[in-house]
Amino acid sequence: MNWPGSNWPWIIWLGPVRTASGGVLRHKVQAVAIGLVVLVSTASATLGLTLLAASNTPFQHAFGAQDGAHATVTVNTARASTADLAATRHLGGVTAAAGPFAESVVQTEFGGQPFGQMALAGRASAGGPVDDVVLNAGHWPDGPGQVVLDGSPGGGGPGLGSTLTVTGVPGAPALTVVGFGNSVTSTADGWVTPGEITRLQAPGMPPSVQMLYRFTHAASYGEVRADVAEVSRALPPGAVTGTASWLAAELQATSNGAIMEPFVVAFALIGLAMAVLIVGNVVSGAVVAGYQRIGVLKSIGLTPAQVVVAYLSRVGWPALAGCLAGVVAGNVLAIPVLHNSAGAYGVGSQQVPWWASVVAPVGMFALVLLAGFGPALRAGRLSAAEAIAAGRAPRAGRGYAAHRLAARLRLPRPAGLGLAAPFARPARTAVTLAAIAFGATAVIFAFGLNSSLSRAAASQTHSATVPVRVEQFGPGGGGPGQMPSAAQDAAVAAALRAQPGTLHEVAVYGNGVKVPGIAGTVNAWAFGGDAAWTGYGIIAGHWYDAPGEVDVNTAFLDQSGLAVGDTATVYTGTGPRAQVTVRVAGEVFDPDSQARMFGSTQTLPGIGTPANLQLYDVALRPGVSTDAYVQAVNGALGSRSPWQATSQHDGGQFYSIASGLVGLLAIMVAVAAGLGVLNTVLMTTRDRVHDLGVFKALGMRPGQVLTMVVCWIAGPAVVAAAIAAPAAVALNTATVRAMAGTAHTGIPASFTQVFPPSRLALLSLAAVAIAAAGALLPASWAARARPAVALHAE
Amino acid sequence: MQQGAVIRLDGVTKTYQAGAPPALADLSLDVAAGEVAAVMGPSGSGKSTLLNLIAGLDRPTAGTITVAGRRIDNLSESGLARFRARHVGIIFQFFNLLDDLTVQDNVLLPAQLAGASRRAARARAGELLEQMGIERHRDDYPARLSGGQRQRVAIARALVNSPDLLLADEPTGALDTATGQEIGRLLQQLNADGQTLVLVTHDPALAERYAARTVRLLDGRLESAGVPA
Repeated sequence: MNWPGSNWPWIIWLGPVRTASGGVLRHKVQAVAIGLVVLVSTASATLGLTLLAASNTPFQHAFGAQDGAHATVTVNTARASTADLAATRHLGGVTAAAGPFAESVVQTEFGGQPFGQMALAGRASAGGPVDDVVLNAGHWPDGPGQVVLDGSPGGGGPGLGSTLTVTGVPGAPALTVVGFGNSVTSTADGWVTPGEITRLQAPGMPPSVQMLYRFTHAASYGEVRADVAEVSRALPPGAVTGTASWLAAELQATSNGAIMEPFVVAFALIGLAMAVLIVGNVVSGAVVAGYQRIGVLKSIGLTPAQVVVAYLSRVGWPALAGCLAGVVAGNVLAIPVLHNSAGAYGVGSQQVPWWASVVAPVGMFALVLLAGFGPALRAGRLSAAEAIAAGRAPRAGRGYAAHRLAARLRLPRPAGLGLAAPFARPARTAVTLAAIAFGATAVIFAFGLNSSLSRAAASQTHSATVPVRVEQFGPGGGGPGQMPSAAQDAAVAAALRAQPGTLHEVAVYGNGVKVPGIAGTVNAWAFGGDAAWTGYGIIAGHWYDAPGEVDVNTAFLDQSGLAVGDTATVYTGTGPRAQVTVRVAGEVFDPDSQARMFGSTQTLPGIGTPANLQLYDVALRPGVSTDAYVQAVNGALGSRSPWQATSQHDGGQFYSIASGLVGLLAIMVAVAAGLGVLNTVLMTTRDRVHDLGVFKALGMRPGQVLTMVVCWIAGPAVVAAAIAAPAAVALNTATVRAMAGTAHTGIPASFTQVFPPSRLALLSLAAVAIAAAGALLPASWAARARPAVALHAE
Repeated sequence: MQQGAVIRLDGVTKTYQAGAPPALADLSLDVAAGEVAAVMGPSGSGKSTLLNLIAGLDRPTAGTITVAGRRIDNLSESGLARFRARHVGIIFQFFNLLDDLTVQDNVLLPAQLAGASRRAARARAGELLEQMGIERHRDDYPARLSGGQRQRVAIARALVNSPDLLLADEPTGALDTATGQEIGRLLQQLNADGQTLVLVTHDPALAERYAARTVRLLDGRLESAGVPA
């Protein structure tokens, strides 16, 4: 017979498929479970890809466009000739070079206030084969007394036309800011004409130039060091006085978004694994439950391919919806993260790259179909007779021993029946167990990560150990007006000592210093007394406790190539006490791309001068109110004092966003795991609907049915908890280390030791909670079902 | 109403779908204690519906049902479950044994669900297994038993809580003639010992041989209530 519509063979082909699949609406709960778990995975994947792009693309793009310098090498021209320098252009690994550009490191003032140390380079133009400086505003210096600053105008600093005074050189020359430029690797803090540098040299300082190089291999600090060593060997001994790696600039540009990437990737992987498990479970369950249906469908003419498509379509539609919703959710979640990231790059704004919005959902959809393909293929390959026979055959004898054992336990009978039930379907139980374990891992991991981040935040801000700071003009200091007088400084120390709530107080001095081997400035902090209580997290070594010892951050060690225990020469400025030799006593947690050093004023006398007094750190006695203390100190200082006490708070925007994101992702994964449990219990309920009818006919009460069904999942939940706890600890440790690695800092061991046994045991209950929450709904459906209906529902 | 009626149905109607003809219509019936009543009728006459309503497996759309002195049509699901556990034993055509439990565990289950003590339940189960002649199969699984043996297990399970009423839905329907007669004799013996029994069957011979009274249904209505012996 020629049926209507036979001109469209696909319609003919797909019609039976639509009928055979039973439609998505007939399996609403399964559809919702698949849709949500795919949503979680797709959102995490989209966010992960976005962060990956956001953390790398802007810098890489700018670095490529500006022919950024892989290394900036400072050379003492008293020891190397122009010919020597020219010869380095042709070294084996050098692909391009620029310079020599005369350089001078000067102390500056702006508006009568110290403006800090600046490295100025003399360049005739912004362009060149290496480090093509982009002029953001103004013009390039074309005469004496002009300077272009690295950066952008605004932000309360000098603007176009402002004047900087160079101190420490004869005549204190003034430089007018005629422009702002951007060097992607910040080869200098400012640029002047080549002839200007001579005027800016401090007496007694050796003349130096900078050479800018690009190398064939410069992907790591080690490679860059090796390249620079090659250059050093080509020059007379002692000629190279400093180097700067492009990796330090990249590090500086690395946003908080990149730091978040490891945990977003961790959640994405968890979501991905759960999606595969749950989808595989759904399709396998549908195949097992539908053997007879498959047989009947095949006996009336459905082809194996149509059977495969019928089963895949059952997961395909909800998965598609999950993918689409997930990519939208991923884009929404990315907004605050990218806003943060864009601020760090100074690139204005960042968007989710289009390819992330394509790759994540398409990849996830393909993965879902792949997960469902195996069981669907099994259904397709079954012969009609085999399928009908398998559907009618009694269940295999799995789980009988468990039931026999459970019957002998002194447990309420419904609980015993429930606990033994998972053994009847070991594969399904294993998949469900895995889903619960993934969900519980995510929850425990989220709690651990939040604790780790809190510790990092507290360690970074010292809010726990230094609840109060006294700074000039409030937080940040450095406001307009006169420098505090010696009397005003003394008044602060007196006010703090007079407060009964003061436990510790110490004056903190800060300024930039030079350390050979590190290009640019090292931020040095000198404490005017015992500062061990300030609570810097020790990564390696110890807090300095002897004259001549300092602690440094990870960036210092990375950039200098030094290690804890090594010695370094520190130049703190000019004068007889300017050069000191220090020993690195320890590495402290101070995540910053800029190298930092901490010591006593005794060790760093050039820093411990009244002009460098930056703030006072204060610790309070137990029970003292921070707010009341701050109020009392400010009252004692009076309103005319340039000093102001403020309380320290945890975190900052990064930690808030990271904590929120961690919590959200954990909730999403836990919900998906709960839905996976719900799906499994629902499938098991359907499988055992006749048995449930029998139980009820024999007098099992609704409460007993509820107990039995919840107990189906209790055993797997306990095992999942035992797996999830160590897995979450390991995942947290790995993630925190990866985050620290992304931020180019080490971490104290305490940051990952956030799971005391009692806390871990309590958090492990997440597995039980997820299982119970997932099982409760189908359990209550089973409890409510009329026995007569259940008995005839087979 | 009969004196000492174990079952009393008064104007019972059961409709599954609004607008559809009722599965049972305005049925009133009494079954006395110690009686064997056979319910007969063609397919779709309402036999199984009647059994489900008496067992408390389903609820009537209208009318009242009293079993063992208790109104059950207005009980909650928990109340119905307790009622079934204590007052009713059900024997199914296809046994409905639980495949993953041993014979003994199948028999013990209703007693355990009803909260009987472990010792008492085991003693009662042992007694029944012996009475049914299947004591040596106590640790076997149902799949290893013959049809007759399975039905004996089902009968033992139905009796474990010493119910006031035993309901049997086609108890010989899945058995060969000889085994069917064997089960029939067993039920007869139980009745002789005082057990009230309601048999739903297609088999006129079974009804005639073992039941003192035959209730006939047709299209959900009582065709004949029979004469109590």
